Amino acid sequence: MAAATVLNGNAPSADWPGRYHHVDQILDKPGPRTDPSFLAGPGVKEFLRDQCKILVIGAGGLGCEILANLALSGFKDIHVIDMDTIDISNLNRQFLFRPKDVGKPKAIVAAEFIMSRVPGVTVTPYYGKIQDKDDDYYMQFNLVICGLDSVEARRWINATLVNLVDPENPESLKPLIDGGTEGFKGQARVILPTITSCYECSLDMLNKPTAFPICTIANTPRLPEHCIEWASVLEWPRVQGDKKLDTDNPEHIQWLYQVASARAKEFKIEGVTWSLTQGVVKNIIPAIASTNAIIAASCCNEAFKIATSSSAYLNNYFMLIGTDGVYSFTFEHQKRDDCPVCGGESLDITISREWTVDRLIEMLVERQDIQVKKPSLSSGGKQIYFQAPPQLEEATRPNLEKKVLELVEDGGDITVTATTLPFNLTLRVKYT
Amino acid sequence: MSTTGESQNIEQATSAITDAPDNKTRRYDRQLRLWAASGQSALESSRTLVLSSSATATSILKNLVLPGIGHFTLLDPAITTTADAGNNFFINAQESIGKPRAAEALPLLRELNDSVDGEAVLKDVKELLGTEDGRETIRSFSLIIAHNLNKDVLDELAELLWADLTNPPLIVVRSAGFLADFFIQFHEHCVSQPHTDGTPSLRITRPFPELLRWARELDFDSVDPTTHAHIPFVVILVRAVDDWRAKHDDKLPSTSAEKNEFKAQLRAMKHKPDEENFDEAEAQAWRVWSEPTVPGEITSLFTLPPLSASGPTPNQSFHALLRTLNAFVGSPGGPGCLPLSAALPDMRTDTESYVKLQNLYRDRSLHEKEHFKGILSEIFPDIAAEVNEDELDAFLKNAHQLRLLRGRRWGEWAKDKSAIAEALQIFPRDAGTHVALTALSTLLSQAPDGSAVTADALRAEVQTLVGEGVELPEEVDTAIGELARAPTAELPNTAAFLGGMVAQEAIKMITKQYVPVNGYCVVDLIDSTTGIVGTP
Repeated sequence: MAAATVLNGNAPSADWPGRYHHVDQILDKPGPRTDPSFLAGPGVKEFLRDQCKILVIGAGGLGCEILANLALSGFKDIHVIDMDTIDISNLNRQFLFRPKDVGKPKAIVAAEFIMSRVPGVTVTPYYGKIQDKDDDYYMQFNLVICGLDSVEARRWINATLVNLVDPENPESLKPLIDGGTEGFKGQARVILPTITSCYECSLDMLNKPTAFPICTIANTPRLPEHCIEWASVLEWPRVQGDKKLDTDNPEHIQWLYQVASARAKEFKIEGVTWSLTQGVVKNIIPAIASTNAIIAASCCNEAFKIATSSSAYLNNYFMLIGTDGVYSFTFEHQKRDDCPVCGGESLDITISREWTVDRLIEMLVERQDIQVKKPSLSSGGKQIYFQAPPQLEEATRPNLEKKVLELVEDGGDITVTATTLPFNLTLRVKYT
Repeated sequence: MSTTGESQNIEQATSAITDAPDNKTRRYDRQLRLWAASGQSALESSRTLVLSSSATATSILKNLVLPGIGHFTLLDPAITTTADAGNNFFINAQESIGKPRAAEALPLLRELNDSVDGEAVLKDVKELLGTEDGRETIRSFSLIIAHNLNKDVLDELAELLWADLTNPPLIVVRSAGFLADFFIQFHEHCVSQPHTDGTPSLRITRPFPELLRWARELDFDSVDPTTHAHIPFVVILVRAVDDWRAKHDDKLPSTSAEKNEFKAQLRAMKHKPDEENFDEAEAQAWRVWSEPTVPGEITSLFTLPPLSASGPTPNQSFHALLRTLNAFVGSPGGPGCLPLSAALPDMRTDTESYVKLQNLYRDRSLHEKEHFKGILSEIFPDIAAEVNEDELDAFLKNAHQLRLLRGRRWGEWAKDKSAIAEALQIFPRDAGTHVALTALSTLLSQAPDGSAVTADALRAEVQTLVGEGVELPEEVDTAIGELARAPTAELPNTAAFLGGMVAQEAIKMITKQYVPVNGYCVVDLIDSTTGIVGTP
């Protein structure tokens, strides 16, 4: 019977004898570092192959690798979300895509590819944003793996999964495994929401993005990057008006390149190229197949160990630098008590009694551990400053010039909200 | 539309043709930003031989085919098993069972990138090793990668490749369950573009004449306030050092009191408290605490003899350039230090000053390059004739961070019992895993199905390797326990992890950019760690 099913193909769980010869060596007996709670044998295999439901966020460089690894490891109910379509520049590493797929949704093409290559695996794609889905959706999964290139999306899913935790319901705790790469470097980490350090706890580990002062761009350009920023930040809105700059549109890049080149020529600055223009305006991060393979494998390996308890899993951060030999560092990133997402305590800030609301906002925008754009502030139900809607902005604008001290007492709380912030941040203000 | 508008459009249309990248550049964009056209062309002319088409082997190849190596050969006589159909993504599941594994994997690897040429050879490497033609075939590749190859065959292959200095490097990969290690056998590897983060000297304490003239002739006190607030920090520091030396017996500030005094002198040069260029000069003052010396790692390369005094030696031009560099540093017309780099960091200044400074550095750097070339033609006329300008530029630009690695023969470290015993003390987990994998490969050479593998048998093998009576750390038993659990398991995630790691090292070897690992890289995917043992 089993053989007949195999020959007919496409049966939902078309396992053939010996299919899991390799993985089963691990699942059939414990190793020296396996937790005693591991129940070797059929039970764990059945859970992995018939019950475990896993969500993959991102079907790009990491996502393609993650999907393939999970499918071969024996996960059979895989869901994948991605809002992007395939670009030719993805093909040097996103190995489930071919030139004929350019322009199609990544999630759908990747899901089809995996299902055609690995029989018996169901990959359910969603072509859209993670923010489209509600708590019930996320609640259905046992595990979530992220292969994203966006800080904002990571913060959102992290906050969502932390908020999902209900102490009364152990099923509500969804382990989050997060990977990221840049060139020859990368990291993988395991987050147990509310228990271990979360994504927000480690926000200050991110590199600060290069920002060029506007006066340099406008008045004293020195580098080709300054000329490109001038073209995109100042000239585009001036000349093109309301037309939105689309950095994926080659004609727009071409325009910027020409404007930047002309400015560079005027100032005798060398080095403006098409490729640099595109790199600067799109903030392109170099990416190669090999680094993605390493980090995705590490993420899936942790998912496999967590789903099966067959071995201890990562506690909780693996960092890799592959530029000078192979250097990696595995460590426990500490939970922050004042983490606005998982810590529970408000964030203490100490500011001068002379500081205006405007100065406070400037500080919030600059701080690496907060990373907020356009924050709105309120205190004890009173609005201090709101970025939108326009009427409210206008009504609260006079407060910008006021001293914070006039609006919030020493030891008082300020609530910070922003569209890019998937939670409310509470600051406790002290004055020097 | 006006005439001028039209002509502008024609100009735009023309430049669009020349500037926008072609499809190939677009496809490889994200990697060209790392290793540039020179790295890409090295990849494209490389030929890799892969022994086995296991899940690990195909994962490695996938990560080499995607970035666009020139050619690969899968050498593997194996027939696809039910297990292969379950753990290898480059096998057509059940359809491939019973068919030659390499031939099944080939089209699925090739479809990843049309520009890569590949072939499957359904032979055992033993067969090739047995004939001169076969050995010549093996030697003709630029890189050879072997995964879980039978120990005795591997030893024979490693010996063949080690026999001649010009033979290709060999990457040996071993894995079982969650544990793995890999090793690159090479005689010598030169890296003129290591992409490490070293900063070249700006020569502030030893300014070239044009720079010194600018710093001396600028009347800091009479320029207008805007100009004063935009003097580049390089010029400020050169002037400050010049003034300091005049008062301090031609010496640089050395004690901490002197350094503070020097910084105070910089602050005193300010006209207004908010002149950021002077703040920058103070922040960069560390650049004047010492003369631009040649780093010790570079001077040690100056005296390193080539591997072969007579006959062909690898990296001949790199060695010639190193010797020329040594001569350059000591030459009468030279700067007495490494050649000047034209790369200038951004600084708080106006466009005109920055461009002027940049031109000074560029001109000087060209001048020194000519001086370097003069010495090169004098002492190595043959090399001077064949070295190309790009190669020379890369070498000079990276003169402060050049790397030369001397490797080791596969298995040589295993013979050094005291070194292994020491490594077991210092890196018990990594060295423990390494020796356990060596023990496993011995047992598997006796019975490839793993039937001879037990914890006791592994322990006895390890004890033989490190010497009787040597006490084994508990990490050895931990590794042995894992290997006894899954002696022949090739886990998809371990295969994918190694696929990335080994491809990464292969790319470094082929492009001669970035620095490859030297020694055994040991991977433990339970603790999620990597470590290096046996570095020469």
